[in-house]
Amino acid sequence: MRPPSAWPRHVIMIVVSILMLIPFYWVLKTSLTGENIYAYPPRLIPADPHLFNYVDVWYLIPFPRYLLNSVIVSAMAIAGSLLFNVAAGYALTKDFPARRWIVLLLLSCMLIPFQATIIPAYLITSWLGVLDSWLGIALPLLSTIICIFIFKASFEAVPRSLIDAARVDGLSEWRIVVRILLPLSKSAIATNVILTFIWSWNAFLWPLIVTRTPEMQTLPLGLARFLSVMEDTTGALYAFVVLVLIPGLAIFLMAQKEFIRGLTSGATKG
Amino acid sequence: MTWFERKRTREMALVACFLLPSLLIFFLYRILPLGWNVWLSFHAWSPLKPAKWIGLENYEEMVLDDDVFWDALSNTLIFIGCAPLAIAAALAISLLVNSDLKGAAIYRTIVFLSYPLMTVAVGIIWRWLYDERGGFINYVLRSAGIVDQPVKFLQSFDLALPSVILADFWQILGFYMIILLTGLQSIPQHLYEAARVDGVPAHARFLRITLPLLRPSIFLCIVVGILNSFTSFDLIYVMTNGGPGHATELLITYIYKAGFGQTRFDYAAALTVVQFLLLIVLTVFANRLSGGNAGSLER
Repeated sequence: MRPPSAWPRHVIMIVVSILMLIPFYWVLKTSLTGENIYAYPPRLIPADPHLFNYVDVWYLIPFPRYLLNSVIVSAMAIAGSLLFNVAAGYALTKDFPARRWIVLLLLSCMLIPFQATIIPAYLITSWLGVLDSWLGIALPLLSTIICIFIFKASFEAVPRSLIDAARVDGLSEWRIVVRILLPLSKSAIATNVILTFIWSWNAFLWPLIVTRTPEMQTLPLGLARFLSVMEDTTGALYAFVVLVLIPGLAIFLMAQKEFIRGLTSGATKG
Repeated sequence: MTWFERKRTREMALVACFLLPSLLIFFLYRILPLGWNVWLSFHAWSPLKPAKWIGLENYEEMVLDDDVFWDALSNTLIFIGCAPLAIAAALAISLLVNSDLKGAAIYRTIVFLSYPLMTVAVGIIWRWLYDERGGFINYVLRSAGIVDQPVKFLQSFDLALPSVILADFWQILGFYMIILLTGLQSIPQHLYEAARVDGVPAHARFLRITLPLLRPSIFLCIVVGILNSFTSFDLIYVMTNGGPGHATELLITYIYKAGFGQTRFDYAAALTVVQFLLLIVLTVFANRLSGGNAGSLER
């Protein structure tokens, strides 16, 4: 197993890392430069770095409005999915007649990619009367099957005796969940929050279909719109890209373990 | 009613209340749409017309008269067919960073860093990298003297699809790596030790131990790669919007255009049915290839 030296492997991985990081550097460099970004040859290091492009983002486009929409949609998706996933995950720890069938149903639902449902999903959302609204954008994300199973597994790991003791003390079912189970499931909560945030923050196709007015557009839609209106003639576009990427990257770097755990448990179960 | 029965009924009511919201969402956004798609695909329907049964007409049009459908289908298959290249690269990387290499965690983070990004932003970043004047790729190619004139990657009929696929590789490579690393870490170390004691050379250890035991993870990567041809809508939309011509049209972008560009919901539904069948057939096929029991992977 142990090759004679680790250096060849380091060299390969350093090259791979540099290749993977170049796109990040290139967009960051472009967002910080004040010169004509179309001049050839492009500078590898910005000659006179400044933040004008970032200021421009606030004035050229309704950035605050996009941000507000994205934040509200993500907050709704996170709050809703926590509530519904915790409830469903707890229900699945109980013993009831149709349990096996419901687990099977959920597992097979996981095989239906959301992208394969867009036409009827649009018609259903229109029938519900929530097109072009925050709720309409957040609705499909209000419950996620992966996270239901993560909560179920986490709740099942809590000793029965603890739950029985709480029940003897007269705690209601909902209180048992909130007071006993949730404090012991911090990692499952983190996974749910992170995954739902990333999914709702990055979602593009669904908001593109559901929104009608520019006032309801989220950040990814704003980004695509900016691209088509400005025909990428300005460095502000790249400042916008950097601004939009920061929250996702920050959350990922802070909670890498939970994030990867959620993704792999989703992948292995799906 | 005894006390026990009453308690049991109360518990059943609780279970129902707790499950109902989630089940309702999955019914509305997964199960109902699936059936509705099939129903729509056999009808002529638009929001202002009553539905009329037309049998297979939508499918006939697709197969016989619609060149764009065939373009989209072959591009989708090329897109999926290229996934093994990325998976092989990810496998090489995960073998390198799996063992006792110092700083492996940093390498892993860097390779994975592009996966959680917003795909629309990834599309814009790569559009810019491919740019004729300000783009990094043309700059390198020209400085190294490989090309004289800037290459119009995204406007070229031949290069547009590979260019988009490369951008997609950059984003998804880390995800494949994570899946494969999880698989590698579940291989018992004593197998390698036993093989080493027996004097089995390194490449044989890889072929006889690592690869067979990694099959379920590789299957997962392939499924992710197949699904990725659906989720790459965002990337195509900002990078080429299916162009030039229909050189980068995927089924998912064509479904969107048919449904929301031309308001032909019935035809778009038929396209969706074809795409979904393709997904199932390819998944079953991949499952066969990987030994047939990959679906049983459950940790």
